[in-house]
Amino acid sequence: MGMILEAKNLHLSFKGVKALAGVEFAVNEGEFFAVIGPNGAGKTTLLNVLSGVYEPEKGEVAFLGQSLKGKSPQERARMGLGRTFQGLEIFRGMSVLDNVKLGAELASPTYPLGLPRAEREWRLRAWAEEVLDYLHLAPFRHAPAGMLPYGLQKRVEVARALAGRPKLLLLDEPMAGLALEEKQDLARFLLDAREEWGVTLLWVEHDLRAVLELSDRVLVLSYGEVLYYGPPEGVRQDPKVVEAYLGHA
Amino acid sequence: MYALSKRLTDAYSRRFARAVRETYREDEAYASTPLGRLALWAFLLLLLLLPFLLGPYPMYVATLVAIGALSALGLHLLVGGAGQISLGHAAFMGVGAYAASHLFGPLAPLGILLGGLIAALLGLVLALPSLRIKGVYLAIATLAFQFLADYVFKNWEAVTGGIRGRTLPPPQVLGLSLDTPERLWYLVLLFALPLFFYGKRLLMTRAGRAFNAVRDNDLSARVAGVDLTRVKLFAFALSAFYAGVAGGLLAQLYKAVTPEYFPLSVSIQYLAMVIVGGAGTVLGAVLGAFFVLLIPEVLNSFVGALGPEYAATLAAWRNVAFGFLILLFLILEPLGLVGLWGRIRNYFRTWPLPY
Repeated sequence: MGMILEAKNLHLSFKGVKALAGVEFAVNEGEFFAVIGPNGAGKTTLLNVLSGVYEPEKGEVAFLGQSLKGKSPQERARMGLGRTFQGLEIFRGMSVLDNVKLGAELASPTYPLGLPRAEREWRLRAWAEEVLDYLHLAPFRHAPAGMLPYGLQKRVEVARALAGRPKLLLLDEPMAGLALEEKQDLARFLLDAREEWGVTLLWVEHDLRAVLELSDRVLVLSYGEVLYYGPPEGVRQDPKVVEAYLGHA
Repeated sequence: MYALSKRLTDAYSRRFARAVRETYREDEAYASTPLGRLALWAFLLLLLLLPFLLGPYPMYVATLVAIGALSALGLHLLVGGAGQISLGHAAFMGVGAYAASHLFGPLAPLGILLGGLIAALLGLVLALPSLRIKGVYLAIATLAFQFLADYVFKNWEAVTGGIRGRTLPPPQVLGLSLDTPERLWYLVLLFALPLFFYGKRLLMTRAGRAFNAVRDNDLSARVAGVDLTRVKLFAFALSAFYAGVAGGLLAQLYKAVTPEYFPLSVSIQYLAMVIVGGAGTVLGAVLGAFFVLLIPEVLNSFVGALGPEYAATLAAWRNVAFGFLILLFLILEPLGLVGLWGRIRNYFRTWPLPY
């Protein structure tokens, strides 16, 4: 298994506050990779750097062996780097179907006068339906996404990201605010997506039980620095992680 | 006998009475059911025959509404579609109208097209502030454009004829002079129908989704691979093109162009059409134009019928009534006439067994 993503010595600070201070890690292809840490550890900042919303001050990210330096978010998305957000960043006024179609269109070319041939639209629809079916969203396809209950909206976001056939999907707290049952469903969807479509997953998550149970490897951040980087079994044993994040029992 | 009638009714319900879309392909079409397709063709036929059905004055109003709907559709694409506000829509119509006033007679169709293109170029320029600013601030920037255009219309005498404006002879097509609204109607259809289908198709496919994505959430749109700059430039240019073409057609209808046709109040009137119609849909553009352009005419004739001695007082009340109607829409039906229509249609789609 080769490396799909490699972060080297990432530095980023906001007005003197160090959000990332020399973060280094690599994600293997097909892996379920977790990033955890206390609030303000720099997890979301890290995702923003990876997806191109921020440019790091120092250091570099390589994706599929290619440097991402200077690449815009949409260029990265087209290379196969998908992303979901903490909180909800779906297109609320659009139908669930249109959300998914938009996600699926990432890599498609632009058309003369902006109009695709009908055939292409149908093929797009077929793929979108496959994704909807997969995430059990098909009954809500025509509902405006913003009208759905919270748990479903979260799922719409995952569906939109998966529809773009990402090679690596970055998930920012996908389970936050979900009920236990919804968390279990989502975990199943993600594992199946990895199985079926070969998506590598990188997630930031606060639910430690879920993280340790599902992830192959874990990166623990605190104040922008790497506290721990390795298999999930070692997280609870690491004295530095216990000190900064887990607390003593 | 029974078998035959059963076969006939079955065939009927398979063919026409089906209100439910059965395949994804049907779901992706303009008119999703056979009944819908029938209605679409009937409507197109009605449009073609309209001059034979209506008298000169209703025909004049119909032409006015059709041109208004075309222009409103342009604003719908921008405001309802891409979520960018513009208070300069009338200015783009003016640009189209003045351009058309220079290429008249047999060249009229060319002049209208050229007016649209020039307006689109200016639309690209107006899109530049939208790359940086949003909402109220963008509204102010477009307002500035409206005033600037107004100033140019009044003072660039060589091109616009100043405050007296320009007059133009009726357009000619194949030697036929389109000097009445009945004849001009077909020129309007020639431009409006393709542009309506184009707008509809655009909203149903990739570009429309990109527009909506920018409207709903621009951060997420970027990460989902939407090129914000491109979408905004395209939306402004497209909207201006529609306005320019509509302005050119309006110049043919009025047979004149003066700065008074395109003031700020007209820009606001078009925004009202978008709101009343229900933002972001093609049907909304038509319904909004109908409402905003037709209701004053209806209220007018109502006032006229009461007798001349009341005219002055009632004319003022006419505006109040109109404003009140728009307020009612904002409060009671935020989705506009389209939302209202959707609810009526859904009621009948499942009628008589709604559960």
